Amino acid sequence: MVAHSGSTRARRSAGRLNEPRAALVEAAFDGKPRSVNRFLVLTIREEWRVVDRWWTEEPLDRRYFDVVLESGQAVVVFHDEERQGWFAQRA
Amino acid sequence: MIACILIDGFELRAALLERPRLMLRPAALAPSTGEEPLLGPVTAIAEASGVRSGMRMGEALATCPELVLVDRDPARAEQEWEGLLRRLEDAGLSVEPAERGTVYFETRGVERLYGGVEKALLRALKAVGPEWDPRAGAAARRFAALAAASVARPGQALLVGEASQARELLAPLPLELLPLQPRERAELRELGVRRLGELAALPAGAVAERLSADGREAWQLARGGSGAKVQARRLGEEIVEALAFPEAVANELTLRRAFTALLDRVLERPERGGRFIRKLALSAQLVGGGSWRRTATLREPSAEPAKIKAALAPKLVELPAPVLELRLELVSLAEEVGEQLELLQAAGAEVDRRLRQGLRQVRASTGSGSVGQVVEVAPWSRIPEARALVVPRDD
Repeated sequence: MVAHSGSTRARRSAGRLNEPRAALVEAAFDGKPRSVNRFLVLTIREEWRVVDRWWTEEPLDRRYFDVVLESGQAVVVFHDEERQGWFAQRA
Repeated sequence: MIACILIDGFELRAALLERPRLMLRPAALAPSTGEEPLLGPVTAIAEASGVRSGMRMGEALATCPELVLVDRDPARAEQEWEGLLRRLEDAGLSVEPAERGTVYFETRGVERLYGGVEKALLRALKAVGPEWDPRAGAAARRFAALAAASVARPGQALLVGEASQARELLAPLPLELLPLQPRERAELRELGVRRLGELAALPAGAVAERLSADGREAWQLARGGSGAKVQARRLGEEIVEALAFPEAVANELTLRRAFTALLDRVLERPERGGRFIRKLALSAQLVGGGSWRRTATLREPSAEPAKIKAALAPKLVELPAPVLELRLELVSLAEEVGEQLELLQAAGAEVDRRLRQGLRQVRASTGSGSVGQVVEVAPWSRIPEARALVVPRDD
């Protein structure tokens, strides 16, 4: 049988790259991250806020931090004000 | 609408085709050699005796001492599954097989042909055949169709019209329908979440935080799932050569010679049309009723016997029992009929052609949907995940 190669393991819809993943973040009193996934934050390179799609059923309200961890890794973390949780993704 | 045909315990049913009486006894598919001793699908009688699929073999035998362990027959299962898909295709359905026992198709193209969704589903059930006890479900979304099929009775087709109906259908169903790891399922159970409706009612953020990406996907499925379309498989042709031995053979040298003879024969088949081979499967009928199957994807498409032999012949030592019949199948062919070695370094269109060729090879090895292209859609966005998309490349 010569079949369409690998027709059984499909996930063919376009997907997002760099999807945020839930992260364990310890925040300071001012809401800035002190550690991410148990790694200390060495420096916060940038901070910004996104409030968008407030007219839809999935509004965005996030406070972002571009941080460098003690492991040397550069990560973007954000606090999702809608979902009340911390998430991380590649910088 | 998206329709789903579901056959419970397909591998067990395929292995019991020669011994149908065992379907009426407590029986279970034995664990694969070298894997954790967990049972495969079980018969209804075994289930009534307290034996469950995924149970440890020792525990199952202690629960039901008369349990019959059925050897796996992957070659037969593959053959039956392919036959079943072809019968559905002969009925005019463009099918997308998910795993053995689960197949999806889009009803839109055949509704007029058969006079409605329900009639199309009944036609599909008839094409599968009553001996497999198939169940059918149809809904606007894939997961809801799977859920509908899972609650339908054998031979029955269940239609779920609107989104609210789908939510009502999903709410009381158990978490086992979701593609979650046992650990994650257990964690949800500990939190008191036992039904899809209970999971769907939780805030998305809380689920994602607890169970990460898998949890979020499961949460989405519990709410009906995404509207992913059905991608029908492309039809192929069958190029198989088989050699039956007068008596069971266990000698490796004999098996290697038989494999060489099969390879020569299959390479000479006119249907190949000189095309190079991407992927092959070697299977064997074992003495005692079981079967064995191994596949190999070549590093690059080839029709050179030495290369193919090097890829597949070493697998013969993995045979667990003497062989009654050896079978060689060309699973995937390339379009090329020759290869020009390079005099000058390739550039431009040639490099592009080779890249495409390499990607096709990766797809043959890992399956459709495994190759994607990163497309920047909004590189300036302050939302990192909105900057680029991964678009599947199945060309």
